Amino acid sequence: MAGIELLSDQGYRLDGRRATELRKVQARMGVFAQADGSAYLEQGNTKALAVVYGPHEVRGPRAKSLHDRAVINCQYSMATFSTAERKRRPHGDRKSSEMSLHLKQTFEAAVLTQLYPRSQIDIYVKILQSDGGNYTACVNAATLAVVDAGIPMRDYVCACTAGFVDDTPLADLCHAEESGGGTSLSLALLPRSGQIALVQMDARIHQDHLDTLMEAAMTACKGVSRVLDGVVRQHLQEVSVLTA
Amino acid sequence: MAPSLRTLYVRPNSQSDKSSIPSQQPIGKHSSLLENMSPMKLCVPGERLCGVEDCIPGTGTYLRHGHIFASLAGYVLRKNEGEELPVISVVKETEAQLLPDVGAIVTCKVTSINPRFAKVHILYVGSTPLKDRFRGTIRREDVRATEKDKVETYKSFRPGDIVLAKVISLGDVQSNYLLTTAENELGVVVAHSEAGVQMVPISWCEMQCPRTHAKEFRKVARVQPEYLQA
Repeated sequence: MAGIELLSDQGYRLDGRRATELRKVQARMGVFAQADGSAYLEQGNTKALAVVYGPHEVRGPRAKSLHDRAVINCQYSMATFSTAERKRRPHGDRKSSEMSLHLKQTFEAAVLTQLYPRSQIDIYVKILQSDGGNYTACVNAATLAVVDAGIPMRDYVCACTAGFVDDTPLADLCHAEESGGGTSLSLALLPRSGQIALVQMDARIHQDHLDTLMEAAMTACKGVSRVLDGVVRQHLQEVSVLTA
Repeated sequence: MAPSLRTLYVRPNSQSDKSSIPSQQPIGKHSSLLENMSPMKLCVPGERLCGVEDCIPGTGTYLRHGHIFASLAGYVLRKNEGEELPVISVVKETEAQLLPDVGAIVTCKVTSINPRFAKVHILYVGSTPLKDRFRGTIRREDVRATEKDKVETYKSFRPGDIVLAKVISLGDVQSNYLLTTAENELGVVVAHSEAGVQMVPISWCEMQCPRTHAKEFRKVARVQPEYLQA
């Protein structure tokens, strides 16, 4: 097949990584003082910023509130400078609404919403630079922001993408690999229990390859969870040193 | 300043199939707890703390398959409450948002009155201030316990009064939190007269302005003697 080779014969990808290697994940919590919780996360070149407000009284129509749990309201948007060409509509388009809905479903599975009836938790995520894995970077950043806000969660939610080239699963796809036309599976996982919060796949692959692909994605998510765990623990230690 | 009112209340356990939510106990200031504890263990959400036979789950934890897991990122605190098992909970340096619960004593500010009810903004739950104001309603029949139908809201509250009330209901789709002042210790705590001066209570239904000596009607709260400054 002509075009860019996603996996070379020696087993290297376009950016020099191995097939199962993740991109470098760096994150910081508590970046904003105004919000209840905030976090900034970089996964390779993808940069995401997440901000959490709540739980607070339901804004807008009172009918939106649920009598036994909190409503989670997510908004996903991309900065106009986040892609190679200037993005015309940062939010409100179909892709953003779908992403917002996915984020909402993911966090409804993890946050203990039954503790806050008739209230609302807002999660706002903004992509500052987009290089593949937008949804997964958002989920990871939002997890850190929710932990920073002190909202109780069942477990972290870690997300990662996986692809399939030449019978080899690739973990953590970058933009070139995603748009190459091959499969791209996004998985959001609760690492300790192994429960899946959301799984989404584009393009088609043979059914026999699905298990390997899911396995690769789950291993990648567990790798991300170790990094996030380290970030949370370090932040806790820093905060305790300051206030002790 | 009067010592802070510590209110401990327990939310009835809502039973679900796999995981049960532990009772909520708001902890006021935990710096005093932290100083006489040995270096405490950090924990993150999802971390298994212990089995259900060793401890009782407290705030910041949840129960699943017979094990207690943390749901917050913070320090693990094990306290002996006097029952057989210690209570294990996770505390954070900064307080998380607290919600008014049924039976909680809240401090609110009256925003508008109406012959049928008074609308308030809830400012404090117990002694913890809320970051965001919640809206509440005190209906005419919940103002006092006796002679409920003869109540006039104009003679019980005025806009701008600070009122101590108790939450009776979280409200349904149409209404906000429903509050009541139908007890001796509930009612108006701080009120300003028409001259703008803070009034002094003289009976359960009247307050007097110290400057103009005019009396105004309010449903006054009888503050407990231990909270009054001598």
